Amino acid sequence: MIMSEPATAPDASTPAGVLEGDLVRRARNGDLHAYDELIKRYQERIYATIYHMTSNHEDANDLAQESFIKAYSALKSFKGGSSFYTWLYRIAVNKTINFLKQRKNKYHLSLNDIDFNAEHDPDLMALISDKTPLRDVGLSELQKKLNEALLKLSEPHRMVVVLHDVQGQSHDEIAEVMDCNIGTVRSRLFYARQQLQGYLAEYIKPT
Amino acid sequence: MNVSENKNNFTELKRFLNLKRHEVPPPGYFNDFSAEIVARIRAGEASGGRNFAGQLQDQAPWLVSFLRIFEARPGVIGAFATSLCLLLLFGVVVAEYSDSTPQTIFTTTASASQPLASSAVPGVAGATAFAPVSEGGIVISTNASLQPAVNLFGQQNASPLFQPVGFTTTGD
Repeated sequence: MIMSEPATAPDASTPAGVLEGDLVRRARNGDLHAYDELIKRYQERIYATIYHMTSNHEDANDLAQESFIKAYSALKSFKGGSSFYTWLYRIAVNKTINFLKQRKNKYHLSLNDIDFNAEHDPDLMALISDKTPLRDVGLSELQKKLNEALLKLSEPHRMVVVLHDVQGQSHDEIAEVMDCNIGTVRSRLFYARQQLQGYLAEYIKPT
Repeated sequence: MNVSENKNNFTELKRFLNLKRHEVPPPGYFNDFSAEIVARIRAGEASGGRNFAGQLQDQAPWLVSFLRIFEARPGVIGAFATSLCLLLLFGVVVAEYSDSTPQTIFTTTASASQPLASSAVPGVAGATAFAPVSEGGIVISTNASLQPAVNLFGQQNASPLFQPVGFTTTGD
């Protein structure tokens, strides 16, 4: 299973989008079965985003649960100006950033395992080919180095990289989730990539 | 480093970041995830609404943010407590100072021959000397004895503690 497939908000014009609106309306009226359905729909993406931000499974578990609980308690204030998905994402992102600010730089990694598909991922295979500096490095070590490098970024920069390069969200979606303009998203993304490149210089094939 | 080199490097970096997509939680992790959240919501509703922290977060988010500063920086709470103690000490000093000031005021007013103002001077002896005061046609007379009217054993006291007051209209 690949956890972070490109995340796209359901289109309101599709039956799935209409169903989401119906689920939200029922959940707002206290129907927990409807809310259970909404959780199932977004749990993996919300968890993945938080996990990639914290690099800690336990923290991600707690924060994801709290995000869904907070969203349920705040459903009455959801006006429908954006999709439920974007609104939920915003709650999770803000909660995660607040958590990381409190935690400061005191982090400890609690990384999830890498799935079997990684060994067949052409991008990763290209990365660990004989021609790269990574030929003697295992995937788990690469994983650790990558997570450590990500944690060196500031929260907003890390969030942009996670949402764009890992989660596959568009600049527009990220701008909406992070409540900033697209220019800010682009500049943060560029700066974050530059920073990451510097941190991982010894593992990235020179051009 | 030119733009194309940058682009190439980012391509390499993106390949690297692909690794993140393969990090997965333990098998079956999501099986009970939603049920757990729903159970927590139900438990919260059953306990008569959300907990105090949740209500505080909604009603006074500024206070929660303020308290979080203490969580993040334990030194701040020490400074805050010290400043509170100093404030309390300052309050005590000011209160003591203000307690001593009115005696001077009373002394001054008494010397100005103001009958009503002088009645505020504590002391039984001073009160016995009051003459009835006339205010807008009402005569107020006081009995200045300050002994209980009835003693502990129910016997009438010759000099009661309270001051009986008599009002007489003068028909002005």
